[in-house]
Amino acid sequence: METVAAALEGLALAEWLRQSRWGYAAVNAGHVFGIALLVGAIVPVNLRLLGLWRSLALRPLYAMLARIAATGLALAIVTGLLLFSVRATEYVALELFLVKLVLVAVGALHASTLHWATRFPDVSRARQRLAGTVSLLLWPIVLVCGRLLAFL
Amino acid sequence: MRSLPLYRAILLAIALLLPAAAFAHHGWSWTTGGNIRLTGTVVEARLGNPHGELVVEVDGERWTVEVGQPWRNRRSGLEDGDLAPGTEITVEGEPDADPETRVLKVERLWLDGRKHELYPERD
Repeated sequence: METVAAALEGLALAEWLRQSRWGYAAVNAGHVFGIALLVGAIVPVNLRLLGLWRSLALRPLYAMLARIAATGLALAIVTGLLLFSVRATEYVALELFLVKLVLVAVGALHASTLHWATRFPDVSRARQRLAGTVSLLLWPIVLVCGRLLAFL
Repeated sequence: MRSLPLYRAILLAIALLLPAAAFAHHGWSWTTGGNIRLTGTVVEARLGNPHGELVVEVDGERWTVEVGQPWRNRRSGLEDGDLAPGTEITVEGEPDADPETRVLKVERLWLDGRKHELYPERD
C-alpha cells in the first residue's frame, strides 16, 4: 500500500497539483460538488423509502435520483483520487482515511447490489426501510469523516 | 405524518455528527491570538498543497511550524529549496492555544536576516 502511495505521489500530475494555486482548489471544489450531488440525491430518496412523501411515486423519483447520486459518486471518486495523490503516503497512514474508504466501499456496494441484484425499488416495505436507513446513516458519516481529515 | 419523529431523529443525528470545533490548519480560531518568535533548525519539510509544514528544532524541542501553500510562500519571496532541512530559520506567528502540542502557524519568517511576510495583513 505504501509503495503504491509513494508511486502515486511521484506522478507529474500529483506534483503539479501540489504546487498549483488554482488546480488544487478546482479539484477540491469538484470533490465537494460530487459529494453535494451524491448526498443531495440520496437524502430525498432515503426519506421517501423511510415513509415520507408517500404521495410521490417512488419509481420515477428513484430513477432520477439514483443517476444523480451515481454521477456524484463517480465525480467524488475521480477528484478524490487526485486529491489523494497529492499526499498519498500521509493519507494511507491515517486511520480515519482508511475508515472512510471502507465506508465508501460499503455504501457503493450496498447501492449497486440493490440496484443490479434486486428489482429495487420494487421490494418489500421492510427492505425499502432498511435500505433507506443504511444509506442515510452511511453517507453522512462518510461526509463527516472526509471533512474531519482536513482538521487532523 | 407518523414518520415525522423518525425524520426529526435523523436530522438531529446528522446535526450531532457535524464537527463542533475546528482544529489546526484552518483560520486562527485554534491559536492563542498572540505572537511568539522561535529560532531553530529545519529538520523536516513537507511543502505543497494543501498545507506546508516544517518540523523545526528549537533548543532541543521539536515544533510543528505551519507555513503557507506554495502561492503564499512564493509571494513572500521564498523559492523552492529555501526551507530545506538544515536551514536556520526564525519564525513569528501564533502558537496553538494548547501549549503541549508545540504547533505554530507562521505569519512571517526570516532566513539569513531577510524577512518573508506570509500574512502581511496580520500583526
